[in-house]
Amino acid sequence: MAMDGSNPEEFAVGCLLSIKTTFGDEFEGQVITFDRPSNILVLQEGIKPGPRRNIRLLKASYIKESNFLGQADDPLDPNNCYLDLSALQAREELAIRQAEAEAERIGVGVTSEAQSIFDALSKTLPVRWDETKIVVMNEVCVSSPYLPESVSGGTPAANERVKKVLEFERKRLQLRNTSG
Amino acid sequence: MGCNNRDVFSEDDASSSSLSEALLFATMCIIGLPVDVHVKNGSIYSGIFHTASVEKDYGIILKKARMTKKGKGDANVSKGAVIDTLVILSGDLVQVVAKGVMFPADGVGGNMAGDDTEIIVGTVPHADSLISEDEKSTKPLKVKTWTNQTSRSLALTGNGFTTKIVGNEDEKRELQLNQIGNVQEIEHEKRNGIHFAKIGEASDSSTNERQAGDDGSKGGNDDGKETFACVREETANEFHSSSSTYTHLCQVEPVNGGQTTVMSKLSVNGSLCNSAPVPVTLDYQCSKRSTAAYSSDAVPSSMSAITTSAADVISGPCRNSSATSIEISAPQRSESTRSAKEFKLNPGAKIFSPSFANPVSASPPVPTVSNMTYMANNSPVLPVAAAQPEVGINSFISRPSVPVKYTQYGNMTAGNGGSGSQFSQSIVGHMGHRTQPLRYAAQYNTVLAEPAYVQQNSPAVMVGRLGQFVYVHPVSHDAFQGTAAVSPMAPRPMLTPNHVQFPKQQATNAAAQAMQFCVPQSLITSGQQQFTVPNHIPLLQPSFPANRPIPIPGTNGFYSTKFS
Repeated sequence: MAMDGSNPEEFAVGCLLSIKTTFGDEFEGQVITFDRPSNILVLQEGIKPGPRRNIRLLKASYIKESNFLGQADDPLDPNNCYLDLSALQAREELAIRQAEAEAERIGVGVTSEAQSIFDALSKTLPVRWDETKIVVMNEVCVSSPYLPESVSGGTPAANERVKKVLEFERKRLQLRNTSG
Repeated sequence: MGCNNRDVFSEDDASSSSLSEALLFATMCIIGLPVDVHVKNGSIYSGIFHTASVEKDYGIILKKARMTKKGKGDANVSKGAVIDTLVILSGDLVQVVAKGVMFPADGVGGNMAGDDTEIIVGTVPHADSLISEDEKSTKPLKVKTWTNQTSRSLALTGNGFTTKIVGNEDEKRELQLNQIGNVQEIEHEKRNGIHFAKIGEASDSSTNERQAGDDGSKGGNDDGKETFACVREETANEFHSSSSTYTHLCQVEPVNGGQTTVMSKLSVNGSLCNSAPVPVTLDYQCSKRSTAAYSSDAVPSSMSAITTSAADVISGPCRNSSATSIEISAPQRSESTRSAKEFKLNPGAKIFSPSFANPVSASPPVPTVSNMTYMANNSPVLPVAAAQPEVGINSFISRPSVPVKYTQYGNMTAGNGGSGSQFSQSIVGHMGHRTQPLRYAAQYNTVLAEPAYVQQNSPAVMVGRLGQFVYVHPVSHDAFQGTAAVSPMAPRPMLTPNHVQFPKQQATNAAAQAMQFCVPQSLITSGQQQFTVPNHIPLLQPSFPANRPIPIPGTNGFYSTKFS
């Protein structure tokens, strides 16, 4: 039976709900808490307990429909709620670093083919983007259209190697495309 | 039930914040995690949850946010661009979705990295009975060395891979070329000379990547002592221990005579000397080395000890193969380089990944080996070490025949971490560049140090594999113990590029598995790819928490048993 999202009393801790949002999202979850001042409903997805949960913080006002599926125990053990701030900070720092590294791997203003070539090269060689050029080992440049002929710079050996790797990777990419 | 508890929660919260503590807790739990934030206009932003405003309205801040779905209406953010800090006001917020959240109460995992390092540290001290006291870093020497290694690796990691590598490559190439030239000359002249040269090179490479080749080759022609001197000069303080080892080797030489002398010289590096012919001498060397190392620099000593132990084990096969191996080395070089190039070309570099994996799998067999090595290294008790090596060799021999197993291990490693495999690949790639020169250098180096044993074995194929395995283990342990160990490791990785050497590489990998740190270090020590190695190391550690634990237990057990 549908409940009005504006009625916070319905969101008892531990409730299993099926929720539909005004944006069309549908999911089921268990109520971890409902915060009245901010009107935020905290849910955990997946009924079964596990070390990894998906958590949703949902503004209750965007709930279009919710169905009560059942009642379960409080998903949080109040005696076991502790936080390691330094661990949190470390996690965030690590995540930010990873995001930065990830962002550097994405060429800006390059074709998807160029990106896939970059990704392929990065498996064997240290690469980075310089504008739309792929810089391999900090010395060899691969510029658009990223053909073996467009490899320039670096020592002859490095240059040669990049060409070979590039050629090989292009073949692989082609194979994948044709087979896929 | 839960409701009652929660009531307590939410009623208390009023004092500290307008938000309920449960919400606060949930918010804290997703800090630093990637989240998807849905906003009022239908857009979805993905970023790292940084913080939230809990004072009145629940606004949140994302780091490194990107719009992953564009909703209707205009936004002051374009799709695809990364926004360093994105503030989403409460009025715009619809929902926050965080996946894979682990509540502290559930979690076991959070501290994996920390535990690993701790474990490693613990193991290392255990490894040396003498050091056992050092477990808590009481003894400056060993502990320092380890720390230095780690710090080095870290520093290397911190620095750009590419740059350093590039710079090194040139130097390395030069070195390698020199080394090759020396080696060839030496081969023509005498095997002994070759060994010396190798030793010199190895030491050089292991130490500071300096151009030891010239000195080493000269020393090789003259006397083991001279080479040692060269090494000393070139090598840093750490190498002093190695020098002591050399002296020991010299003593051994007379006993063995002829080829044995050569062997002894080699044994200085690592090995052959110890082998079968003169166990007693080996013992002496080991004991002396171990003591010297302990007294002087823990790391170098450990290295030397390791080498000796390895040499002991390998000795039998090595002797046979040693001459041939050298000769073979030339042809292999070309082939190996080719193969290496191919590997480099291969993005998958599956072969390489197996090697990494191998370490893990190898670890089980390794224990025997490791024990042996450990004995030799740490334990002054030479006789024991000798006996163990033999046993270890036998087991290794049987194993060498089974490359398939290694491959399986390789798969395991691959599974462990993509990053790890990538690293390996990157290394391979570097190898390819340097390939021939480096490999030569590496081989030579290996001969000199522990790795040298492996190389010798490689020519012998089967025997070499066995020896390699054994060596690898010792090396890995050594690497942990000291910088010297690292250098041996490096040579092995270098060898890996060669097909023939694959078994060896696997062995090295195994050693690496036993001591993941060791592998990176070895790479570092090799000098050629020191930078790359560090990178690998850091990555490996995080990526392979499981691996570390596995190897560690083995090492610990060994150490404890031996030492105890």
